[in-house]
Amino acid sequence: MPSQIDPTWLALSRLRRRRFTSCISVCTSILSTSPYDKAVWSLKSQALSLEAYTDETEMEEEGVGEILLDDNAVATLPRPGTSLSAPRVNTSSMGIRPLSSSGRPSTGFSRPGSSSIRPMSGMTVDAAFKGPKPGTARPMTTLGREVRLGTASMENSGGKFIEVDKLDLRKYAGRPDLAVVLVDYLLQVEVNPRKALELCSEATQKANYKSWFWKRKLGQCYYKLGLYRDAEKQLRSSLKDTPMIMTYFDLTKVYLKLDIPNTALSLLLSAGEQFPMEPRILLGIARIYDMLGDIENSSAAYKKVLQIDASSVEAISCLASNSFYTDNPEISLRYYRRLLQMGLSSTELWSNLGLSCFHSSQFDMALSCFSKALQLSNETNEGDVWYNIGLTGVSIGDLALAYQAFKVAVSIDKNCAEAYANLGVLDLRKNDWESAQAMFEQAKSLAPFLFEPLYNLALLQWKRGNLEGAYENVKESLIIYPDHEESLALKKELMGSLMGLR
Amino acid sequence: MNHPTHTTLRSRRNWYIHSCYTSGDYKACLAAIEEELVACSGLCEYPIYCKGLIMRHQGKVNESLQYFQAATSLSPHNVLNLKQVARSLYLLGKHRAAVDVYEETTKLGFEDWEIWHNKGLCFTYLKDYEEAIDCFERANDVQRHDASYLQLGKIYCLQEDFKAALKTYQEAVDFSPQNSEILTTLGLVYLRLGENQKAFDHLGNSLAHDPLNPKTILAAGSIIQDNQDMDVALMKYRIAAVKTPNSAQLWNNIGMCFFGKNPPKYVAAVACLKRALYLDPFEWLISYNLGLVHLNKQQYASAFHFFSASINLNPNFAATYMYLAITLARLDDFDNSCAAYQKSIEINENESTTRLNYAITLFNNDEMERSREQFEIFERIFAESGEGEDEPDQEVLAQSAELREALKNEE
Repeated sequence: MPSQIDPTWLALSRLRRRRFTSCISVCTSILSTSPYDKAVWSLKSQALSLEAYTDETEMEEEGVGEILLDDNAVATLPRPGTSLSAPRVNTSSMGIRPLSSSGRPSTGFSRPGSSSIRPMSGMTVDAAFKGPKPGTARPMTTLGREVRLGTASMENSGGKFIEVDKLDLRKYAGRPDLAVVLVDYLLQVEVNPRKALELCSEATQKANYKSWFWKRKLGQCYYKLGLYRDAEKQLRSSLKDTPMIMTYFDLTKVYLKLDIPNTALSLLLSAGEQFPMEPRILLGIARIYDMLGDIENSSAAYKKVLQIDASSVEAISCLASNSFYTDNPEISLRYYRRLLQMGLSSTELWSNLGLSCFHSSQFDMALSCFSKALQLSNETNEGDVWYNIGLTGVSIGDLALAYQAFKVAVSIDKNCAEAYANLGVLDLRKNDWESAQAMFEQAKSLAPFLFEPLYNLALLQWKRGNLEGAYENVKESLIIYPDHEESLALKKELMGSLMGLR
Repeated sequence: MNHPTHTTLRSRRNWYIHSCYTSGDYKACLAAIEEELVACSGLCEYPIYCKGLIMRHQGKVNESLQYFQAATSLSPHNVLNLKQVARSLYLLGKHRAAVDVYEETTKLGFEDWEIWHNKGLCFTYLKDYEEAIDCFERANDVQRHDASYLQLGKIYCLQEDFKAALKTYQEAVDFSPQNSEILTTLGLVYLRLGENQKAFDHLGNSLAHDPLNPKTILAAGSIIQDNQDMDVALMKYRIAAVKTPNSAQLWNNIGMCFFGKNPPKYVAAVACLKRALYLDPFEWLISYNLGLVHLNKQQYASAFHFFSASINLNPNFAATYMYLAITLARLDDFDNSCAAYQKSIEINENESTTRLNYAITLFNNDEMERSREQFEIFERIFAESGEGEDEPDQEVLAQSAELREALKNEE
């Protein structure tokens, strides 16, 4: 440490420059000589909490326990379009756009929470433990992210910095400057919402229930403790005192947890009127529309995001995939090219570029995009690239290439249900019915949310004369996609046979 | 009846079970059956029979087979039981066994329409079409039914004996003129035989009875489309699109409607055809149509791509090779273009337009001798085919006249 500089000032400067680790070490050395220096103490706890900071405005991944034992939802049998577990199914797009494992149309951006399966959607324990991408990741446990971050930061600081249990919270609540720092420390580093709640309630009393900050923090603490209705009350009251963007996000999260997305949506829309130039609010609106399966409105919101923040990766990629699935591959190509110009380079991006090129008749570009995607790929996404190559093979009529590519996809990613389904279809064309049936069965067991393998399986069994199996499968297919015309026709036919009418 | 009291006891509740079953109240029916089974310790025929029927309605065919077999062992000479055993076997895909059981019923000296019809169905699955035809005809001898006619016609279609199929369906229409399914099928057979007007009459008739049937609309629309009345055809397809938004054939036809409009709407046509291709990537005709549209828009690279995809899926269609050859000629690949023409001629050597186009391509590449040779063949074929036809294509006439002039000037 340079001796001529005042160490406290140095620590402050380092904190401002966000060099937290060195700031902490300076603070530690000062505190070892003068342990009661409040300024340094405050600096150190700020540095620690900033180091452990997690952006809580984002949606979060849900743990297995939360998914299975969730009882916060307002309605047990929600009407379509009012709940995240019963999204408004836009049936005309169902055969056109692929579904994610949660049964929603897939979006262009993989974000926390969007891929998890909602509670009450009739899910089994097995499905919950598989997680959004079976076989690739451990399922999230409750507080998964936060617990790990908490332990990591503790190691850095080398032992406990503040003995939380010995703190006299009433004393700190009287000193707002210290209390503000302390509550962040409690929430971010200690991950102890119960203690933080005590501090908050003392502090808000001292502030005569007038401070928006303490009400917001109270709301956050209640949220972490799972007391969503209390959280809502505090956050609402905080917004009444002083409307802040961050508070709106906190409240949105509460509503999403309560599974009342329409309330969350109207909250964000009113926030958007107050803060018209805030892209994150618009992004939040677009995300909720996405979760509800309302592609039109979400696209409109993403476009507004781009007007304010022209390099929002999430907005660009979502718009790109939307225009791809609405038969505008040329436009999606432009969006993906923009992402490329922004310096992004990933397997997914190249693979999407390849598909867009191919479907907008830029054949020379398409294959080189796929080979670039393969170069960048690792074992988690290589299978998807091969799957896309297989689709290209089908489109150019080179079924041998397609078959090989799907086989490779399956050998790399054993859970690629779509590849199995397509292998089944290709087997059908070769009149290899046994193998086709096995493939469809495999796809069905891997991805129970897809109706295509179910329908194909039913059709195959019907053709082979096994009406019982066909009936079972077509019934399942209709549960997923109640308006599927072909399934309905097949079911009618089967009912006729079973009732003995023909 | 040796024990009148005993029998009365057994069949005491049969009326109730029957009335529950016929009114569709399966829950009450099953409860009553359970009671009866316990009371008679499982030795009562009708409740078991009824339970089998209900199980089958609920899709549990295997279970139903067990119940019918139990009923048969209680009363081995009751034809009704045997019929149901055979039916369940048929539904489970055990067609040979089902046929055996049906033959047993005939041995018992019982004969009705249903037995022959179902036996025919089994033979159809076993691909023994001669036997199946025989069975259906016998079924119709006993009693005439729409279902038997439809199955009989289907077998004739499978054997590509369209004349016989036509006769069958005509008989069926005489027998039940209100059945829209028969009318549609008859229309489709006429369409296959190339008698568009008759086909259209029957399809129109069918639409009068069932105006929303997508299959009928598609067939009728395609005939209207053939008569160049694109707007009317589009109107028809709009009705069908609501019911079957995922039908590749429908989107294909809609796309070709836009293409056939005057002036053609290329963007809409390509969009619809691409949607169709997305829905059914294995249909070579859609790729072929997309190739045509791109060729007309002078996007030769794309056209080549779609034609080659179409050839990959169906290598036996002469016209695709001809258009591929034209595309290649436009892309200045003369050698491959000639190879494609040769391949097309190999498949169908009596197609006049192929010869004409070949001659034009050869002429454009200064191969006068070969061009003249192809042109002569063209004129011969054209003269032969021109006699039967009502009116030759104006464009072909204009092109051939131009080439004739050009070839003369070269001499």
